[in-house]
Amino acid sequence: MKSKLHKKETKWAVIFILMPLIGFLVFTLLSLIFSGYFSLTNYNPIRIDWKFIGLQNYIKLFKDQYFLQAIFNTFFFMLSIPFSMLFGLLLAVFINMGFKGNKTFRVMYYLPAVSSAVAINIVWRYIFNGESGILNYALGLSTQWLGNGDWPIKFAIIIKAIWSSVGMTMILYLAGLQNVPKSLYEAADIDGASSNQKFRMITVPILSPVTFYVLITSMIGTLQSFVDSQIFAEGNPAARTIVYYIWSKGIDQNRYGIASAASIILAVSIMILTIIQFRRSRKWVFEQ
Amino acid sequence: MMKNMKKRSVWFYVALGVVVLGAFTMLFPYLWMVGTSFKSRPETFELIPTLFPKEFQLNTYKEIWQLIPVGRAIFNTLIVEVSVIVIGTFTSSIAAFSFAKLRLPHKNVLLLVLLSSLMVPYAALLLPQYRAFESLGMTNTLWPLILPGFFGNITMMFFLIQYMKGIPNDLIESAKIDGCSYFGIYRRIMLPLCLPALAAQIIFWFVGIWNDYFAPSIYLTEQLKQTLQPLLASLNSTYSSGTNYPLIMTGSVIASIPMIIIFIAFQKYFIKSMALSGVKG
Repeated sequence: MKSKLHKKETKWAVIFILMPLIGFLVFTLLSLIFSGYFSLTNYNPIRIDWKFIGLQNYIKLFKDQYFLQAIFNTFFFMLSIPFSMLFGLLLAVFINMGFKGNKTFRVMYYLPAVSSAVAINIVWRYIFNGESGILNYALGLSTQWLGNGDWPIKFAIIIKAIWSSVGMTMILYLAGLQNVPKSLYEAADIDGASSNQKFRMITVPILSPVTFYVLITSMIGTLQSFVDSQIFAEGNPAARTIVYYIWSKGIDQNRYGIASAASIILAVSIMILTIIQFRRSRKWVFEQ
Repeated sequence: MMKNMKKRSVWFYVALGVVVLGAFTMLFPYLWMVGTSFKSRPETFELIPTLFPKEFQLNTYKEIWQLIPVGRAIFNTLIVEVSVIVIGTFTSSIAAFSFAKLRLPHKNVLLLVLLSSLMVPYAALLLPQYRAFESLGMTNTLWPLILPGFFGNITMMFFLIQYMKGIPNDLIESAKIDGCSYFGIYRRIMLPLCLPALAAQIIFWFVGIWNDYFAPSIYLTEQLKQTLQPLLASLNSTYSSGTNYPLIMTGSVIASIPMIIIFIAFQKYFIKSMALSGVKG
């Protein structure tokens, strides 16, 4: 009787998870297998005579200066991460002091995270404009941020990235601060620690798992950036990222083989980062 | 009471000043966007720019509906929103119920498999999916944006599993004794009890779909079929060389401000679920 009931329960349990499971099989697993397969061919939807070419696409990629440049650009944009983390941490500690109006600040800093990336990039493009932009006017500069120079656009994107990610970092640090036991600070007070010492000896070490999490997720986020290159930089080679490269080779030029190889390299890098984060967080939970 | 009595040090006010300045920097692009959208075109070329227009005009807000199919784009966006969220919430929440409460063999392995999809970047799945939807004749339709959503949202599912685990098993056991079916338990007990968590996740998802650009820009190339974000991008590329800034900023206002209002109205839910999903990782 009981086992029959269990069987019935298991039957329904399986039916209930069927949709996400099929979704995973089709839209993740099968798609990924096909990407891997395409990466070993010179597949092109308008050509009939495509064939298996082994690892040639991967070899070609690392000889393609545009791909190497896309990797360099993508990693260069990660320079925004330490700034965003530092500002986010200081903001979180300040807002956590609890004063009137602190919630308003929290909302203001978090706005970019819920805003349309397209709209935001269009507005920043206007602000950074060399001739009519308000930034050059306000600072008395004549820098062609969006022009052909290699560095101004890179720095513009980093500034923009700090602006759009600091609120997210702040929220994560704020959540982390709720876990810091008050007793630690009380004990430090008894020992006569200064607030500077308390920050360095208690707050920063206790927040280190959050710091690690923010670092890894920000790296993963930057690895996937696309709108910066396409909307903000309008395809300027100095700002093309890995995803932009995949998009332009695959969707624009129909070169599925090489685009898929690039996408597999991207996927593997992100998986490695995720696994590092996962192992690290498990270890931390264990130590607790 | 004690807090108000506590005397703040000078450094507190210095820090406050910096944070206020930072907050202004955060708001500035939005103010500049809204301000410019109300300016006349000649005013955007003035030598000494002002944040707010000297002469307030609404022309671009009338013009934009004739120049590009904004109404249609909002309508298309809402079709994707409603169909994905209604069906996707159902599939995610019923799967969460199964994971949280039912006798499911290899539960942890299955969950780990589903969660692993979160670490695969969309760019690595895009080309085969694009090819498949293309050969099904579905480019320039909303199907490529809607269909994957039907199979649920793993983030939402994971969040709901955590929430449902907190619901006492006694409720389910007594419903079973009363002869309630498993679907009945889901619909009559789990779903109503999960409403607060569900609401937070739905708002999150709604904003995410509204702001989505990458996939819509690839699948929808004809203006009449586009959702709001790709339409805004094409408005920008058409009119930015002609430097019609008021018009472009009007488009940006329409594409971004509604979600900001939603965020401010529901900030409590947003920040809570953001922090939860963040720390749990």
